[in-house]
Formats: sequence, structure tokens, C-alpha cells
Amino acid sequence: MDDLLRHFTVEARELVQQATDDILALEREPAIAAHLDGAFRAVHTLKGSVGLFDFAPMGLALHAAEDLLGALKGAEARIDSDVIDILLECIGQAERWVGAIEQTGQLPPDAGEEGYRLARALRSQLDEGAAQAAPMIPEADVGWIDDLLAAGSDRADLKAHSAGLVAIRYTPRADCFFAGDDPLALLRSVPDLVAVRTTNREPWPPAAEIDPFSCNLRIEALSCAEFDAVKTVFRFVPDQVTIHEVAWRDTAGTHEVGSDGSPSRETSAVGAAASRMLRIDAARIDRLADLVGEMVVAKNSLAHLAALSDEGMDRKDLVQGIQASQAAIDRLVADMHRAVMDVRMMPMRDIFRRFPRAVRDTAGQLGKLIDFSMEGEDVEADKSVVEGLFEPLLHVLRNAVAHGAEPENIRLEAGKSTGTRIVLRARRDGDRIIVEVSDDGRGIDPASIRRAAQERGVAPGDRIERMSDAEAIELIFAPGFSTASEITDLSGRGVGMDAVRSAIERLGGQVGVQSLLGRGTTIRFSLPLTIVMTKVMAVRVGGETYGIPIDGVLETAFVAASRILPIQEGEAFVLRDRTLPLVRLVDLLGISRVSDPGRGAKVLIMSAGDERVGVAVDGFAERMDVLMRPMAGILAGMPGVMGTTLLGDGSVLMILDIPELIG
Amino acid sequence: MSARLDGNIILLEGQCRVEDAEPLLGWLQADSSRVVDLTDAEHLHAAVFQILMALRPPIREGEKDAFVQDWLIPILRVAKSSDAG
Repeated sequence: MDDLLRHFTVEARELVQQATDDILALEREPAIAAHLDGAFRAVHTLKGSVGLFDFAPMGLALHAAEDLLGALKGAEARIDSDVIDILLECIGQAERWVGAIEQTGQLPPDAGEEGYRLARALRSQLDEGAAQAAPMIPEADVGWIDDLLAAGSDRADLKAHSAGLVAIRYTPRADCFFAGDDPLALLRSVPDLVAVRTTNREPWPPAAEIDPFSCNLRIEALSCAEFDAVKTVFRFVPDQVTIHEVAWRDTAGTHEVGSDGSPSRETSAVGAAASRMLRIDAARIDRLADLVGEMVVAKNSLAHLAALSDEGMDRKDLVQGIQASQAAIDRLVADMHRAVMDVRMMPMRDIFRRFPRAVRDTAGQLGKLIDFSMEGEDVEADKSVVEGLFEPLLHVLRNAVAHGAEPENIRLEAGKSTGTRIVLRARRDGDRIIVEVSDDGRGIDPASIRRAAQERGVAPGDRIERMSDAEAIELIFAPGFSTASEITDLSGRGVGMDAVRSAIERLGGQVGVQSLLGRGTTIRFSLPLTIVMTKVMAVRVGGETYGIPIDGVLETAFVAASRILPIQEGEAFVLRDRTLPLVRLVDLLGISRVSDPGRGAKVLIMSAGDERVGVAVDGFAERMDVLMRPMAGILAGMPGVMGTTLLGDGSVLMILDIPELIG
Repeated sequence: MSARLDGNIILLEGQCRVEDAEPLLGWLQADSSRVVDLTDAEHLHAAVFQILMALRPPIREGEKDAFVQDWLIPILRVAKSSDAG
């Protein structure tokens, strides 16, 4: 893809988003001019950039959208839900086209048809609006149809088709010849013509001044073909043609035929994963440039030191110089690292802003009343985390609409507001971010979850029986729990909550659910701010060193042998009046024990799910920030290992996934 | 070229395209009494057609193409007889 096109796709996505935001805002607050202005500007700019390329159908649709927005601005048309729907549909299609352009460099083959349909539908809103604003169609506008009918009335075939006629008024643009149009060729391809009249739009100039390449024609025609067949002929010039259906001898009954609104309004996520561009605040790049400058200074002082050492510098001074230089470079590397991480940080807004429309569409399709709001759009996280959240959140939000929201009458009986409140919330929690989707809907019934889990064999029956209600609800994340029977085409798409869980876990996060029957459900994701750097604690076991992500470690403790109590096959110990199970990492890893069990144990207190567990190791080593590489290739399926990292001495540190090892 | 000048007759033959408009205009500007022969015309580009509409030269009609015969030539007849500007 060439550079220009790449810039186009990035810009187009932003403009599409801007337009969507503004149109949705417009629906909420139709009186606020800023929303309308914003939407108009975004569509206008997008149309302009589309014009730089050979994407005529897209330009056509956007041009119509711009005209409609312009008419709304001029109060020539009224904002109603039909207008909002068709505008969103057009913008949604534009977004899908941008996705296609991003992938293939061109519009999909059906774009011509679709572009025409959208332009047509948008313009029909415009005409309806105009008709409402100025109720009567000017006499002259239907007069031409009368004239044509009169002219054609002596034709036998016209009388034979008394059922209905299609009247066409085609005013080619003056420069249409340059666009390769031949208006008469179009007229020729109109099926079943019954009358044709061609006039000059402007008076003809004197013979000597005629411009042969400026079209001055107006073509009016009647056809007894189907409306759609006529429409198809003019699909590339919808802005220059008006087509009316006319009942024979009843010109007062002319009516515009609106769009056949397509039901498909699936919000497109196409290209969300494909986009590898990163938009960065200039200040962050400036900061990086400053740091590079400082790095050059540090490098020069090191060069100076090297030169001095050649001249037989005093050893003590040399060591001091090297240490000072090392400290400076150390600090700079840390700063640079932080600055680079900052560059990768992006606000949740970049994905959150796509949800209002998704929720609106889903609610519309299911006929639910939803009161959707978002908080914490400014919370930043690593680009890969933020982008990785889009699909899982979309799924959870759709679930909330499809399964959480109850019918209005049930809500009213329960004393709730008619619209189901759904809140998407992000917040920072230490070095993690918490993203939640809460609804005040019907909640999850633990009994039915238990029943379903048993039917589907998600877990052994007796274990399900023993679970607390909260644990039972967590079963919605279990593999195999979501079944086709409850997957609607909306919330489903073949993705179950177990897929949501694994998507979040791939990002180094955890999922949780809280639900109160009749009160609502909250799905919570807890994610690392960045998945690039992981804090790990190195531990020694059986002569080897392993890393354990520190965010799972609550504390470390030394437990004397006398406080370790054997319980059945396992062991336990008491920590601050709580009995915790004790597992030994050597056992988990299947390494033969070398430590002397009589000397007590060094224990990591970790959280595994909601429980705490002690993990005994041979010794603690240092804590470090590491660049964790996920396991790839044939090692990817290795249980209990999260990833690896390269240590300073060139050795490889395996990073263990303790909850997975415990099982 | 689907437009050619033969003596005082301008012959438009086959598919007349947009580039035929300019020579046609030139010939008619030079001598407005020239006859335009549409006998063998199978299609007239709108650019060609509007010159005939504007300058209303004498037309020799043809039956080669139904669209030209049924829909275009009648318009030229009207334009000529009514002398509408």
C-alpha cells in the first residue's frame, strides 16, 4: 500500500469515529449545534480525502451524507431516528470500506451498488425533509411529468401500461463529458422508454461561442419498466437524477421511493486488529528526542574517558569516571525505556468510543431500551492491552444487552427505571487497570448455572454441588459452558465467555463476575497496565531459578517446620490465624526434593482465584522487571509456563504460572 | 473518426463519440447550411447531439438505429420547427 493510501486509512478511521460520535451525540441532544457541525465537518473532510482516490461509490455515499447533514444544519430537514439510522449506516459502511481498502487497496466489488443505495436512501431523507419543510412540491416540478404524459399519451404501449410509470429527470452536470459520461447512452439503456424529451438547461449561446464539451442538456423520460430497473441505469449519477414513480394520469400521487433499509447493521470491527499504526502525542516524541540527546552527551563523556585511559590516567580516577558514566547511562536507559513505554500508552477512549454505537445497534435489533454510559475513557494502558480489550468488551456488552436487560414491564414491576443501565468503566488500580461492565438487569441465577453446568459436563457434579453461589456463577467462564443454544447471532458469533476469559488472560489479565439475581451483573477484567514489562520475583528451587510474576505474590514468609501441619495428602500452615494450604514448588514441577524438610520453608503467599495459598520454595532471589516473551511454537502449549525472559548473564529464566500449576 | 465531411454533407456514422463534437461544431460554424446525414448513425453522444440541438442544421434521417430514430431525431425535428431557444 502506498504512503498516501496508508495515511488515508488512518485519517479515515478517525473521521469515521468522529462522525459516529457526533451523530450519536446529535441523537441524544438534537438541539446542540456543535454535534451537527462536528459531524458535518468530519463527513465533509472524509469525502474530500476519498476524492483523492478512485473510490467513487464511497464518495457518492458520503457526498449524499454531507448534503443531508448540510440540510439539517440549514434546518431544511428534521433530525429523527430514520435520519440518524441512515447516517450511521452510511458511516458504518464507510468504515467497512476503509477496512477493505486497508486490506486490498480497493473497494469491494459490490461497493458501486451499495454506494448508490446509500446515496439514494440519504437523499430520500433529504427530500422527505424538504417536503416537510416546504410541504408543496413546486408546480413546475411535477409539471414536466404532466407534459411528458401528454406527449406520450398517443402511444399505444403507454396506454397498455397504465398500471404505473417511472418518470426520470436527468440533468447531467456541465462537466459530465470529462467524467466519461454519455447521458444519451444512459438514456438508451433505460428499458421500455415511452416518452423522451430533451431540452437545453441554459439558453444556447451564439454558434461561435458554443462549448462542445459543456453539457447543457436536461433529459426527461418516461419508462414503463420497474422502478429498480430504471434506478440501476442511473446508479452512478444519483446526484444528477430524480426518479419518480407515477400512477397513470395521477400525477398528484407521485411519491419518492425510499431506501430498502438493509437489516444488516453489524458494527464492523474489520481492521481493528490489522491497524498497526500508532498515533503519538508530539510531546512524547519530543521527550524521547531530548533523552537521545542526553544519551549522546553520556556517550561522549565515555569516549572522553576512554581517551584519558589511553594517556595513562590514574586507576582510581578512571574507576570513578566509569562508575559515574555508568550511573548516568543507567538513568538515561531507564528514562528512555519509560518514554518508549509512554509512547505505547493509549487511552481507553480509542476503543470505548466505538461502543455506544455497538450497544445502540444491538439494543435496536433486540428492541431493548438501554441507558448506556461510560467512565474512565482517559485511563491509559499499553496499546496492545487497549486494543486487545475491544473484542472481549464488545462481547460482554452485547451479552449485557441480550441477556442482562429485561423487558420494560418486568423492570417497572421490580421498581427499576425502564431503560436498563449499562455502565462501562475503566480505572487505574496500582499498576493494573480494572475494566468493568455493569448492568442493573436480571442478574445471573446460580441455580440455573449449576444446572446448565452439570448438563454440559463443565465440571464434576459433586464439585458443582459444593461450590458457593459466587463460584457457581464463575462457571460462565468455563470452557464449554456457552453453547450454541444460547448464542444469539448478536451476543454469540460463536464466542463464549470462555473465549473472553482466554482473550483477557492472553493479555495477562484476569476475569471475574459478580451477580445478584434481579439486581444485575458486573463483569470485571483486571489487566496489567502494560504487558511489555513484567515484574517478576526469582525463586530458587532444586538448584534452578524460576521467575514468578510478582503481581500474584501477596507476601513472602518463613514458616517454621513445626507450624506446617500435614492434612490428608497435603500440608497446611497457619498465617495470622488463617489456615492456608501449602504446596511445594518442587512437587508442582516434579523435581526431586533436595531441601531438608526439617528446617521449615520459605513460602510465597499467593492468590489463586479467591483463595490464598502458600507456595514453598528453596530460596528467594532478586525482583526484576523483565521483558517477557510468551511461549511460542511447540512450547506454546507447555502447561504452567507463562513465558521466558533473557537474563543479563545470557541465561533463560522461565516464568511460571502458579495458578495454572496448582490447577 | 465517425464524423466526416463529404462536400457539403456532414456524415455521422456508427457510434459517434464525444470527440466528434468538436469537428462537427467547426463544420457547422463554418457553414450553417451543411446537411447532417444521420442515415448510418448508430448512436449519438450527448455532446454531438446537443450541438445538433443548438445549431439545428438540416438533418437527413436514417433508420439504422431504433433509439436514434425513435427518440433523438424527433427531438431535433421539434427543435427545428419550434425554433425554441
